[in-house]
Amino acid sequence: MRHRLDRREAARLGAAALLASAMPRPARGRTPPVGSPLEGDDLPARQASWWKSLGEGRVECQLCPRGCQVADRERGACGVRENRGGTYFTLVWGAACSVHVDPIEKKPFFHVLPGAQALSFATAGCNVECKFCQNWEISQFRPEQVPSQYLPPDALAALARQRGVPLLSATYSEPVVFWEYVRDTALAARRVGVRTTVVSNGYIQEAPLKEVLPYLAAVKVDLKSFRDAFYRDLVRGELKPVLKALETIRAAGVWLEIVVLLIPTMNDSEEEIRDLTRWVKATLGHEVPVHFTRFHPTYRLTNLPVTPVATLERARSIGLAEGLSYVYVGNLPGHAGENTVCPGCGAVLVRRFGFSVLENRLAKGACPTCGRAIPGVWS
Amino acid sequence: MPRTLTRRELARITGLSALVLPWAGRAARGGQNTFRGRVGVAKLAPPAAGGALDPALARTAVARAIVAATGAASARVALAALFKPSDTVGIKLNCLGGRHLSPHPELVEALVQLLVEAGVAAERIVVFERSSRELQRAGFVVRRDGASYRCFGVDNDYDPTPSTSGAIGSCFARLVSTTCSALIGFGVVKDHDLAGVSASLKNWYGVIHNPNKYHDTNCDPYVADVCNHPFLRDKLRLTLLDGLVAQCHGGPAFRSDATFPLGVVAASTDPVAADAWAWRVIDAERSRRGLPTLAAAKRAPRFIATAARYGLGVGDPAAIQEVAG
Ligand code: SF4
Repeated sequence: MRHRLDRREAARLGAAALLASAMPRPARGRTPPVGSPLEGDDLPARQASWWKSLGEGRVECQLCPRGCQVADRERGACGVRENRGGTYFTLVWGAACSVHVDPIEKKPFFHVLPGAQALSFATAGCNVECKFCQNWEISQFRPEQVPSQYLPPDALAALARQRGVPLLSATYSEPVVFWEYVRDTALAARRVGVRTTVVSNGYIQEAPLKEVLPYLAAVKVDLKSFRDAFYRDLVRGELKPVLKALETIRAAGVWLEIVVLLIPTMNDSEEEIRDLTRWVKATLGHEVPVHFTRFHPTYRLTNLPVTPVATLERARSIGLAEGLSYVYVGNLPGHAGENTVCPGCGAVLVRRFGFSVLENRLAKGACPTCGRAIPGVWS
Repeated sequence: MPRTLTRRELARITGLSALVLPWAGRAARGGQNTFRGRVGVAKLAPPAAGGALDPALARTAVARAIVAATGAASARVALAALFKPSDTVGIKLNCLGGRHLSPHPELVEALVQLLVEAGVAAERIVVFERSSRELQRAGFVVRRDGASYRCFGVDNDYDPTPSTSGAIGSCFARLVSTTCSALIGFGVVKDHDLAGVSASLKNWYGVIHNPNKYHDTNCDPYVADVCNHPFLRDKLRLTLLDGLVAQCHGGPAFRSDATFPLGVVAASTDPVAADAWAWRVIDAERSRRGLPTLAAAKRAPRFIATAARYGLGVGDPAAIQEVAG
């Protein structure tokens, strides 16, 4: 799903890039023209935020919980951050490998401007390695291995304006690894009246998360399981920091939705779903939407079947029984579990088919039948 | 119902060990041309700063190291036993250290020449690294065609799908998976901040698309897992190490205050033994300088023992037989 700018678009956005002069300058070398393809040695290296020196030319990254300690000329586990002579650089600031206009339902956000389009962008790289990654061809590669083009934050914001979309979305791979780009894009977008959403694994340290949250309209977190063993074996990450990030996002008052990809035999037991939904209700509140989505075999997990519909329905029932107000099923176009239903009177408020909104009956963010306020970002 | 999977069940379901199982029970790597635990070492002083090696001296050192490693009557005989004329031979260099800490081009040229004399056509020899740019920085000329040997980087030419070996899941360079029928590792002797040692086995991180994912826990078992993949296990026949200058601390990047003139070229048909030997050499220099051993510095190259357990060679530094060439 890659979008390359044509010459005209790139020229138009070049003007926007002039505004980018307020941004931190690249580490060295020229600034690539907006929209130009980026090659291995032309990656727009910029000094990273959130790291510290360990002396003797070594650095420690403080962006995600892995806390990589990186020797000179080496990279962190995400492959997009490099130690150059004792200074840590990000190689993906402005290096967009995927740019596409998507419905916001595709993220999925079901409580954010239903039916709106979002200019969605990503760079290469990820800080975990899910064996079931749907986007592994960009997330599991280093930036020089993936065709990218230079789209600095102002150019992205200008492109969103030009396309007439109200939202930007950092998505597809893992926005945590391009967090400086997310931060600066969200700021640039805010200046032109566009809001920014993030689709993330939530595997991030608290300080960088807190620093960027004020610029975001909504965050969707993939809670991949409620078991640490799953995180260690199939994700190469940890559960605890993700739960902490969910609490931080909620406490900051930024709109939050959670997606749980249900993988047969791996994370679909009744006990685990019950634990998960109970925790969400007790810790984050019953109004946080939870989406149970269907797994399709891919990447290194090709020997399991797609998730049975009954499993998704059972998970949804458990979530509702545990007291969550908004529990959806996903990757199941046409299922009634895609609709937003008023928890007060049971009226269907937003009717969906896949990523399409067929009907939106919300009136100023409330149920038109019983008047109950429905939480979300509606205007 | 709660279900807690055992590791074995998990592996069965995820297929993570699917590729390992078919050869897990096979006999240890080796055969009549593998001299386990034996490392041949030939002396060769490093050139003066900025200077080039004398090609004749380079050739003599490479040949002597190979003879010492194999006990053959000559390097030509040794190489003819290891490589068939029908082989396409890939020589993987480690050029991350730039001009100061990469295999000397004169040594690589000497190896190519000896291979040609052993019957492998020059155009069937590919000298390669992760990227062409790294080769150029280390003083090599990139060459993709012509009558001479090839020399170029992987440059993103990987298999389209990942394959699994133990804990790693990676797309391998097509040069390794498909193009070459036989491989030679040509590394340097250096300390590695995370792995402990980067000489023989660690060099092969350069043929997978995602080495950055596998630096936890001193790269163990990941380095061994990469080398236990059939692409390497079945094709890697010889390892050479440019030890003219070695580095005992601060690697993998070049660090002038941590290098020392070791003054040798090493060769082995046992890639694990080559690493065990390098570990011994690095620790000896660290002791001489009053630095803690790699084990004391909490970065013992544990992947060496893992590779030995996989049957890839001899991993105990004390068990290495160093044969002077
Ligand atoms: S963001 Fe990347 S470099 Fe930083 S700790 Fe995470 S994986 Fe390591």
